[in-house]
Amino acid sequence: MTATMERPAQPPRTSVLPPVPKRPVPNPHVVAVWGIMIMLLGGGAWSLWELEVTPANVFGHFDNAARFIERAFPLNWPPLSELLAMTAETLGIVFLATGFSVFVSTPIAIMAAASTTSGRFSWTVSRLVIIFCRAVPDLVFAIILFRLFGLGALTGILAMGISSIGMIGKLYADAIEELDRGPSEAVEAAGGGRWQWILSTVIPQLIPQMIATGLHRYDINLRTSVILGYVGVPGIGYYLSGALETMQWQRGMALALWVLMLCIVVELISMGIRAAIMSPSSGDRSFLGLIKAADRSGWATHEPVRTRSGAVRVSPPWTGARWMRFGGIGILVVLLVASLIASNIRWEQIPRGVERFIPTISEFIPGTQGRFVDYWLPALIETVQMGLAATLLGLVLALPVGAMAARNVAPTPTVALCFRIFIVVNRAIPELILAIVLLVILGFGPVPGVLALAFGTTGLFSKLFADSIEETDVRVQNALRAGGATRIQVFFGSTLRQVAPAMVAHIMYQVDNNVRNSTLLGIVGAGGIGYWLMQTQAQLAYDVLSFLILSVLLIVIVLEAIAVYIRNVIR
Amino acid sequence: MAQYMTTHGMAAKGVAFSAPEERSIQLRNVTKRFGGVTALNGINIDFAPQKINVLLGLSGSGKSTLLRQINGLHKPTSGEVITLGTDVHTAGAGRLRKLRRNVGMIFQHFHLVESMSVLENVCTGKLGSLGGPRLGLFSYPRAVKEQAMEQLARVGLADKAFQRADALSGGQMQRVAIARALIQEPRVLLADEPVAALDPVSSATVMTLIGNIAKEDNLTVVCSLHQVELALEFSDRIIGLRGGELVMDRESHSLSLKEAHEIYEAVAVVSETELAQETSELAAVHQS
Ligand SMILES: Nc1ncnc2c1ncn2[C@@H]1O[C@H](COP(=O)(O)OP(=O)(O)O)[C@@H](O)[C@H]1O
Ligand SMILES: [Mg+2]
Repeated sequence: MTATMERPAQPPRTSVLPPVPKRPVPNPHVVAVWGIMIMLLGGGAWSLWELEVTPANVFGHFDNAARFIERAFPLNWPPLSELLAMTAETLGIVFLATGFSVFVSTPIAIMAAASTTSGRFSWTVSRLVIIFCRAVPDLVFAIILFRLFGLGALTGILAMGISSIGMIGKLYADAIEELDRGPSEAVEAAGGGRWQWILSTVIPQLIPQMIATGLHRYDINLRTSVILGYVGVPGIGYYLSGALETMQWQRGMALALWVLMLCIVVELISMGIRAAIMSPSSGDRSFLGLIKAADRSGWATHEPVRTRSGAVRVSPPWTGARWMRFGGIGILVVLLVASLIASNIRWEQIPRGVERFIPTISEFIPGTQGRFVDYWLPALIETVQMGLAATLLGLVLALPVGAMAARNVAPTPTVALCFRIFIVVNRAIPELILAIVLLVILGFGPVPGVLALAFGTTGLFSKLFADSIEETDVRVQNALRAGGATRIQVFFGSTLRQVAPAMVAHIMYQVDNNVRNSTLLGIVGAGGIGYWLMQTQAQLAYDVLSFLILSVLLIVIVLEAIAVYIRNVIR
Repeated sequence: MAQYMTTHGMAAKGVAFSAPEERSIQLRNVTKRFGGVTALNGINIDFAPQKINVLLGLSGSGKSTLLRQINGLHKPTSGEVITLGTDVHTAGAGRLRKLRRNVGMIFQHFHLVESMSVLENVCTGKLGSLGGPRLGLFSYPRAVKEQAMEQLARVGLADKAFQRADALSGGQMQRVAIARALIQEPRVLLADEPVAALDPVSSATVMTLIGNIAKEDNLTVVCSLHQVELALEFSDRIIGLRGGELVMDRESHSLSLKEAHEIYEAVAVVSETELAQETSELAAVHQS
């Protein structure tokens, strides 16, 4: 015993190692990740070149910009009643889509969470459903559902609703897995069945997260709904696409500005509600210590409260919290009814769509009409190029922006603040609106699409850079600086290296995201496969449409698989 | 208060016990392995009805695993566990749920839903005898809510019924958990280190409460602890576990405190790793 006490506790296997440590052998997976990163960034550079995203192409259009302003102003606002009606329609459709998704995602997430699943089979099936919904872009759902249900709100609600299951289901399942299992075990130990403990202990713990995620997705769906207007989903996007297609720039820009304002207002409201929900009862939590301290002194018998008739009172008193809860439920019901009215759902489309389901499947048997090499392949490549180019461009732009937004790197606090504000504003602007404006200025083609996506990417990366630079080890930086290194040298020599793992994961995530979004932007005229999705839909060439959808899916799944691999290696 | 006690006492006494083994718990040669870890090794114990039994042992000695055998939260790898006449190992899901209605359980960390009201937390104890799932206090029958109030009155917390569970102190939370177990009208109460997360005063309060209720309701109690003093004061019988083996089994009244300490220390000859584990666990408890 004494002999072992003298030695500090050490795992015994250290003694097996040779005295001189060997040069570490590079982990093949880490090498692979570096290889993938170099390929992605190299691909980005090649894409920028191929798509001709050159300074001349970007800045050589000042005359166009001037002409654009001439054409766009004065803005031509639709009559107020019309504007409000289309806004209500959009908000209603988005509400119903998000509500649908929350409703459907909850049981799916319960199946998909390891702690609540009923077995291996339902776990696998629900995980596959989630992955499928996440991989298929909203637009693809919209195009297919459009064939079933035709023009109208229903197509949009179902398209966004189903697509949102991918994100909401995943986040709910993750949240369930992180919940305290204790209360569930207690109910189980008391003889409660599976659905009993799920509804009595899991759901009550999950509700704040459920609402917060739903609100977050509402923001995203609001932006998506505008794009879906291009394929016939009613609302602001529908009128916006109509105005732009008929070159009514003044009306188009007015609607674009309206969408921008709407997105910002909705995001602010949703952020406020989320912040309030995720920190519940923080008021009495601060008193908790006091309450606990006051209660150390044993226990006394307290009689239950009785009603005037002498019965034990079993309904909670009307406290502020209870009013809030009921008010919240009331508001939800009102919003649901209002959304049902505003979105003008044509219910008779449901049986018609169900009837058409089987015949539609046979229409969607994929085919290329022999134009794969000439048309579809180049378009697919262009879409991927747009995604890669936008990621690289956004990354390069984010280096200085992020550095300037970090308080410990920026020359003065004011500079940091200005760049921080830029990042926040950047993230509020929907990429679609930016793409539309740029398309009008620069003309149709991939360049405006790349710029719009790069803009959003810059915002995301600069925030990541700035946050991690502020968190990284200041001592290392100071040591370097004391050794006479310049700010730039410190940034590349130390800061960037410390941020690297998070960066790698985010680059992959952005490539994935940008490729999806470049598909979407193709619809508004930014080239790539999106354009052909629209065209083939308009020409009723469903065999090609289905082939193109499968191709997009394949690309997205490959990217997703690479992303999962990289995350696993980095972790 | 008196009114509640009589109704409750009647309910408990009204149960007919046809055979003595109906009320007892028997472990026959019980072994439980988790992968390579043997948590319990060939345990043989008979728990007599209406007695307070304490499982004494260091962390990792198998106390929680043993308790979970009794209500079938874990099934034995080999051996036989018969609780209130039900063979836990062979019982189907329905039979097991029926058994669990008669076996209340409380835990070291209370296991309440903190965002729910105290009353609703207590009501969840009744789920085993209710038909379907429930969501929200309003979905429980009035009779269940009244029963919940009765049990809260017994543990002295009726006035806290409509507060959120996280507004209570640790001792109060454990008393709510006791009320949740009592609403089942159980015949056996399992307690897994019920006071390990509490300060000494609350610990004494909670243990006294468990002792009193066990007498009032004629409960068979199996409670794990790691304090010798508490074990000696509140138990009829002390069972020592070490590394999954039964190493002591004594009637409490035949033990002096000194003797008990000696035996416990002999039982718990502390290996270094166990000591480290114990200290880190204590540190965690103190932090929380
Ligand atoms: N679910 C489980 N999976 C794997 N090992 C477990 C599990 N539960 C308990 N064990 C192991 O069984 C042994 C006994 O644990 P436990 O019964 O929790 O002890 P105690 O409650 O006395 O602290 C420990 O070595 C523990 O690591
Ligand atoms: Mg334990």
